[in-house]
Amino acid sequence: MILLPATLAEPQSFSLWEKLLLAGLVIASVALFWRRFGVVLDVILRSKKDADFRLFPIGKRVRDFLWEVMLQAKVIRQRPLPGLAHALVFWGFCAFALVTLNHVAVGLGIGFLDPLGLMGRFYFDLAALFALGCAVGILGLFVRRFFVRPRWLGEKISYESGFIALLIFLLMVTYLAAFFVADASPTASFLWWAHTLALLVFLPIIPYTKHLHLVLSPATVFLSRGGFSHIPPLSGDEDFGLVTGKDLTRLVSLQAYSCVECGRCTEHCPAANTGKLLNPKEIILGLRRYLNEFGPASDEPLLGKHLAQEAVFECTSCGACEFQCPVGIEHLPILIGLRRGAVNTGTWEDDHGGKLFLALERGSNALGMSAIERDKFIQKQELPIFDGTQEYCLWLGCMGGYDPKGREIIADFARVMDYLGASYGVLRKEKCTGDPVRRLGNDLVFQQLAEANLEALAQNKVKKIVSICPHCVRTIQEDWKEYGTPPEIEHHSEFLARHLSQLPTAIDQEKIAYHDPCYLGRYRDIYDQPREVADHAGELVEAPHARERSLCCGAGGGLAFLGEEQGQRVSHVRARELAGTGATTVSTACPFCNSMFRDAFASDGAGAPQLLDIAQLTARSLPESKPESAV
Amino acid sequence: MKIIVAIKQVPERDTPVRIDSGGKWIEETDLQWTMNESDAYALEEALQLKEKDGGEVVVVSAGPERVGSTIREALAKGADRAIHIECNDFAQRDALSVARLLAEAIKPESPDLVLTGLQSDDLGYGQTGVILAELLELPHVSLILHVEKTGTLLHVKRELEEGWFQNIELPLPAVLTIQSGGNKLRYATLMGIKRAKTKEVRRVTPADLGVPASAVAILEHIAQPQKQKSTQILPGPAKDAAAALVEKLKFEVRVL
Repeated sequence: MILLPATLAEPQSFSLWEKLLLAGLVIASVALFWRRFGVVLDVILRSKKDADFRLFPIGKRVRDFLWEVMLQAKVIRQRPLPGLAHALVFWGFCAFALVTLNHVAVGLGIGFLDPLGLMGRFYFDLAALFALGCAVGILGLFVRRFFVRPRWLGEKISYESGFIALLIFLLMVTYLAAFFVADASPTASFLWWAHTLALLVFLPIIPYTKHLHLVLSPATVFLSRGGFSHIPPLSGDEDFGLVTGKDLTRLVSLQAYSCVECGRCTEHCPAANTGKLLNPKEIILGLRRYLNEFGPASDEPLLGKHLAQEAVFECTSCGACEFQCPVGIEHLPILIGLRRGAVNTGTWEDDHGGKLFLALERGSNALGMSAIERDKFIQKQELPIFDGTQEYCLWLGCMGGYDPKGREIIADFARVMDYLGASYGVLRKEKCTGDPVRRLGNDLVFQQLAEANLEALAQNKVKKIVSICPHCVRTIQEDWKEYGTPPEIEHHSEFLARHLSQLPTAIDQEKIAYHDPCYLGRYRDIYDQPREVADHAGELVEAPHARERSLCCGAGGGLAFLGEEQGQRVSHVRARELAGTGATTVSTACPFCNSMFRDAFASDGAGAPQLLDIAQLTARSLPESKPESAV
Repeated sequence: MKIIVAIKQVPERDTPVRIDSGGKWIEETDLQWTMNESDAYALEEALQLKEKDGGEVVVVSAGPERVGSTIREALAKGADRAIHIECNDFAQRDALSVARLLAEAIKPESPDLVLTGLQSDDLGYGQTGVILAELLELPHVSLILHVEKTGTLLHVKRELEEGWFQNIELPLPAVLTIQSGGNKLRYATLMGIKRAKTKEVRRVTPADLGVPASAVAILEHIAQPQKQKSTQILPGPAKDAAAALVEKLKFEVRVL
């Protein structure tokens, strides 16, 4: 055990009036704290109960808590330097909890840690190390906020943050300085009182500012719905999503008050970065302002004074916000919940959206084409029909069945499956999985599509599906669960990566930039398999935004079917980034990304890289005719 | 204003139809059904009139049990109540017989306005609405794109050939047949569907209405369209061949 040469100095004794003063100050500080915190707690508890909330299995909650809160892994991982500075402050606070208790106890004459005893000496020395880290951390954060000033923190200078930083610095300095003064000296007394005052001023500031996250966010992380973009089922006949304050659940309210305003969500939001109204941080803060003004039992519509409908419908559901959030806020259930509220009650009016809903109410696909076009494609391509004997049901999806480029991907993937001798078939009839209507909040049409498809799959005795579309994969596997048990499903990148050893390698080693589709990466945690496939076909290069931090193509959340965007097009920004890698080919693993980049590259004219799905990358190195063995 | 909308349920466009063993009608099992398109526009027009001036929208539909889903859709989109004329011999009835059923169901309601689609997507007679007006002894105008009401008068806009329109003024009560495309259709909502559950659907039978199953026009047989494929090669230099192609596309195939 390493002990510091000095020990912590404490005042010798406290007079009665000092003790009374201290007790009075502590009571005032706690009362001021509770005056606001009690209100917040009341708002959260008066919110509607989360009908689908289950505490168990608790293991994952504990793991997430340890990883995200105690180890600060998410904070550090997503912003390494400021993250580490924050972690030092956080760990300092944790170590300080016992020191602070003892500090106040000393003032009341009931101190329990003796600075000269072995236990006390060890603990105070340990806390001194943490205090040193904490002081350095808070200094770093102060410099960042007031001198570096990243734009995610907002235009306005937050003086309260500066004051809080000063208080924390003061707390640490007054603690550390006590190691260098004589025990029971007047300086020791002065340091003790300075430390106490800093502490008692700090406490009531917490609930009035974003520092409320100190108290709430550990609970928010622990109690989160879990999973990514988990859209809760509607409960009962009067639940249409988030319409008024009455629809805000406890988890939503807790999350609204937990926001620490760090702006990570906005920093990574494709909409916010291309000049749109949507700013995910302002969505959460808008909810908080709503709760502060109207409360959780209000009939006031949520979309109005504090939240804009236009912003809510600009979300591509890419999930970069939710993925990054260090305090456990789940943006997607909120954004999609607000859309559900607007669509399920008919208050959202949009020409393109209305057309999409009608196309899926009356027809079979999101492209609004006749189902006969799909039959024609199947005949022309001579795709085998699924009859229950084959291993895989090859799901075409709207893009694979109707979109010209999507059809090329299906054709090439079918060639690869043929080459591998895999047995597969396509369904005679297929409806849209409901992904765009699910993300746009149309529960009625989504339910109709999910139920019709589940029935068709059960009738055809489908056991395993493979699909070229990450949106279909996600919707079938996760979102359909509300209405039945979907068959096992995988994305074609998983299938291809598994069979890579049986496929010929490319002779040409061109540079290939791979774009991570949001619904494959963040939604399904598949990053390596498509890279293996791309690397097999050439030399893989990475885009500046890659893997978990991939930038959306702009198509998700049903936006592929809506009208012109405000500001820059998300697809063009991402396409330029991909082209900027110097790769001769850009590869995707999603027909929607493909379609967005196709248009973006076409408008850039000559010199744009070639655009291929990973299935097409694989298919181009296949021999023209099938080898004998694989027939 | 009380508005009645007569709605027909027809097979969904994408469903491949098969002719039944009798050769007089299509095989109804396995078919997907939907609201006739121009009737959907008639309903939309009625709902917009109601939203402007208040009143009530009542939908009437004739047909077997399955018609219930289309009635529910109309209620979900905002109709106030419905009358379902339950008849299983719907396919055997001609336009006159169907119009009689509708007229008898509508008469006791004494509506201010009756709307229906211009024609059905399946049989396409285009007569039911017009005959209905005769049976109700009301004035009627067909092919309507837009309706406006001022006082006791209606101003309607008809679509004629080649981009011409005709504006007509007529008194209420009246019968109008509505053309597709005049408005934007609203989408069905979850709230609408749930509210629809509590709305009244009155069931009546042809016997209740005193309309026998007799048909004047008898459907003899129906057939699938014959597929034809023929190839013509236009000889000569490219310029002449292109000119000949344009002629053919314009006057023979009529796609230009």
